[in-house]
Amino acid sequence: MSLLEPALDPVPAAAPARPLTPQREALLRALDARTPGHSLPAPLYTDPDLHQAELELLWQRQWVFVGTSAEVPEPGDYVTLDIGRASVMVLRDDDEQVRAFHNVCRHRGARLVTEDKGSVGNIVCGYHRWTYSTDGRLVHAPQLGPDIDPACLSLLSVHVREIEGLLFVCLAADPPDDVEDVARVIAPYFAPHHLGSAKVAAQIDLVEDGNWKLTMENNRECYHCDGHPDLLCTFFQTWGLAEHQVPDRMRASHERFLLADAELAQRCAAQGLPYPTISDLVDRPLGFRVERSPMDAAGESFSRDGTRLVQRTLGDVDGFRMGRLGLHAQPNLWLHVCADHAVTFAVFPVGVDKTLVRTTWLVDADAVEGVDYDVDALTEVWRHTNEEDAAFVALAQRGVSDPAYVPGPYTETEAQVDAFVSWYAARIREEIVR
Amino acid sequence: MTELRHDAWTDPGPTPGLRLVPDLPRAVGDGLLAPEAGLDQEMVLRRRVPVTHDVVTLVLEPTVPGTFAYAPGQFVTMVVDVDGVPVERCYTLSSPPTRPHLLTITVKRMEGGALSPYLHDRLRPGDRVSVRGPNGDFTVAAHPAARYLLLSAGSGVTPTLSTVRTMADLGELDDVVVVHSARTPADLACRGELDALAADHPGLRVVWVCEDDSPGSASWQGPRGRLTADLLAAQVPDVGDREVFTCGPPGYMTATRALLAEVGVDPLRCHEESFVLGESAAPAVPALPETGDAPVALTEVPAAVPGTATVTFGRSGREVVCAPGTTVLAAAQQAGVSLPSSCGGGLCGTCKSGLLAGKVEMSHQGGIRPREVAAGKFLPCCSTPDGDIVVDA
Ligand code: FES
Ligand code: FES
Ligand SMILES: [Fe+2]
Repeated sequence: MSLLEPALDPVPAAAPARPLTPQREALLRALDARTPGHSLPAPLYTDPDLHQAELELLWQRQWVFVGTSAEVPEPGDYVTLDIGRASVMVLRDDDEQVRAFHNVCRHRGARLVTEDKGSVGNIVCGYHRWTYSTDGRLVHAPQLGPDIDPACLSLLSVHVREIEGLLFVCLAADPPDDVEDVARVIAPYFAPHHLGSAKVAAQIDLVEDGNWKLTMENNRECYHCDGHPDLLCTFFQTWGLAEHQVPDRMRASHERFLLADAELAQRCAAQGLPYPTISDLVDRPLGFRVERSPMDAAGESFSRDGTRLVQRTLGDVDGFRMGRLGLHAQPNLWLHVCADHAVTFAVFPVGVDKTLVRTTWLVDADAVEGVDYDVDALTEVWRHTNEEDAAFVALAQRGVSDPAYVPGPYTETEAQVDAFVSWYAARIREEIVR
Repeated sequence: MTELRHDAWTDPGPTPGLRLVPDLPRAVGDGLLAPEAGLDQEMVLRRRVPVTHDVVTLVLEPTVPGTFAYAPGQFVTMVVDVDGVPVERCYTLSSPPTRPHLLTITVKRMEGGALSPYLHDRLRPGDRVSVRGPNGDFTVAAHPAARYLLLSAGSGVTPTLSTVRTMADLGELDDVVVVHSARTPADLACRGELDALAADHPGLRVVWVCEDDSPGSASWQGPRGRLTADLLAAQVPDVGDREVFTCGPPGYMTATRALLAEVGVDPLRCHEESFVLGESAAPAVPALPETGDAPVALTEVPAAVPGTATVTFGRSGREVVCAPGTTVLAAAQQAGVSLPSSCGGGLCGTCKSGLLAGKVEMSHQGGIRPREVAAGKFLPCCSTPDGDIVVDA
């Protein structure tokens, strides 16, 4: 090196990336090993360390669907959501606003509420009875010294966003702001259905023996729908297929679909309901797809003959033959809204190979059980379908855990599975360098 | 010497002299008596004076030099160490403030009471007790009037004793009628003293009413039975022109309130003190009830306010009578039922309990939800009974 040459003091263009933890490095390596268009490498479904890294990088940073506002109908009603070791309490405060707090006492950190859901007056720590109002203020701390300001000991809040009765939380300090864009797009689809003022008719928790991504992937295709005899009474099996992908054996059903689709588009136009499918699954943090779709048979609801399951409409729709409004949002939501009821599915990881699927049926707040609807009948199709799906997911988990598993190619009909997996990989890569 | 003493006396500081007669240019005794000492002090039992078979008067002297100032009808809170446990009860003073060197309380023995058996059987001259006070505004001094009617029953006689003694001492027994009810003639406390005062003071008339004869003595010749509107109207025809002070056990209070209304006394001229009230420990809680140790005093309540209530604790089988304004949590503590509690103010929900019967007035601060209330729950710390209640505790 000549003395005349300026000393090169290499200044990095950006702050040096923090060294990755071994788990995160392994996560990246597993993603790098993925062949595009193929299912994910095994460790992403089976490795507890990678799962832990995923909880931190994805679940604690993205907007996560937690439930519907119908699950917290009155002030003091709450639901909790556990994401790994983090627990969030989502509750309606005395001003009827939905709020979310870290479920951790500001005194010595005890878990505040321990139930999945419930109702509180104020939020009271079971340890030393520190008491917080529903807006998170510390209102009672026995014998707290005068030099300590209770105003600095409010519960730590968590971002929460309600979109037409759907509640999302984000544990990140600076949540992705695209939730607003998504809200703007989907709100007009949901507004007429009044989910925000519905009531919960039933809720069933099912724990599937599989990684949460297998649960989501399974939901993103109807390639396996032959395994859902009840669902297929009303669900068009060619859902998501392009014309050229429709197999001959499904032609007749597809013709019915095309007719019903045209008819439903007209009904919606007449009622001013937005109809086109909007799909933005890969590139944004809150990947989503919203669609309206006709249903087979009577075309009203998820019954065996397609007729209504609830004798009152939910929201402002004209007639019952409205097919369904569907929403898929990543990482963990799908739902259907018929004219008579809505059914939401929330997916929460419980462990690397255990996933909670919470199914919630909503009906008009004035619908009377036993008169306007029967819970067994209302829930039957999705109870059966969920169990069938749980069995598929468990099969998949066992297979991907087998040393012989080699990721296989997605078929053309599994484009949305590929989109989900691509979204997942993109989010992890984004967050891992933040 | 005189000068010196005078100097010592002429600066009594902010403590007032005797306040019974507020419009005197100087407080009674001002410049003549030693300066007042607070009632908040340790006192020594000087003497025990038997009054009836189950009532004793305890004479207390101060340990801080000085005299006592209070109004007749006021009460003190006494804390006594009973086998290592401090027990606290309120007692109306039976002494008159016109005899400002000593205090007396007059205590009826209540079997099973937390303190009265101890005071009767074990507290000996020379023993010390702690006293706080005085408190209460059940006093003629706060309600100047030309004519008074003092109604009492049982150990509710104590404010009457202090009041009549004070008025006699001050030469102000102008027009006072005392109507006292007791079970038997043997239960009439200080009958001789009051009768003698009445004999000497044309302005004092005393009517004794007994329910029954005392076993083994001559049959009672005076008015018999419980106080009724007819009896009262007959004995005190001008009752409507009098300022009425009533003190006695809850049942008596309720009945008397009704009959005063019946004979047409203006409720604004009726003043009450129930004597079932015990401790006055918690600041926010006016007093804690106990059936038993008496006579006790609390803040005066207008006659229109609903009266005392019986609180029953279903599981422990305990029962307690409490005064208006007493919270159910306070009642529980008094009854020896330990309910969990933390904030004491309707915030934390710690005390949440089931209400098995009756109604309460609750003013909480978010410690309970309407849904829970609908399910029969309530917060004892911020609820007062509205009539008799049964609590699941
Ligand atoms: S840890 Fe919550 S009050 Fe102590
Ligand atoms: S003790 Fe806190 S609500 Fe009663
Ligand atoms: Fe399925």
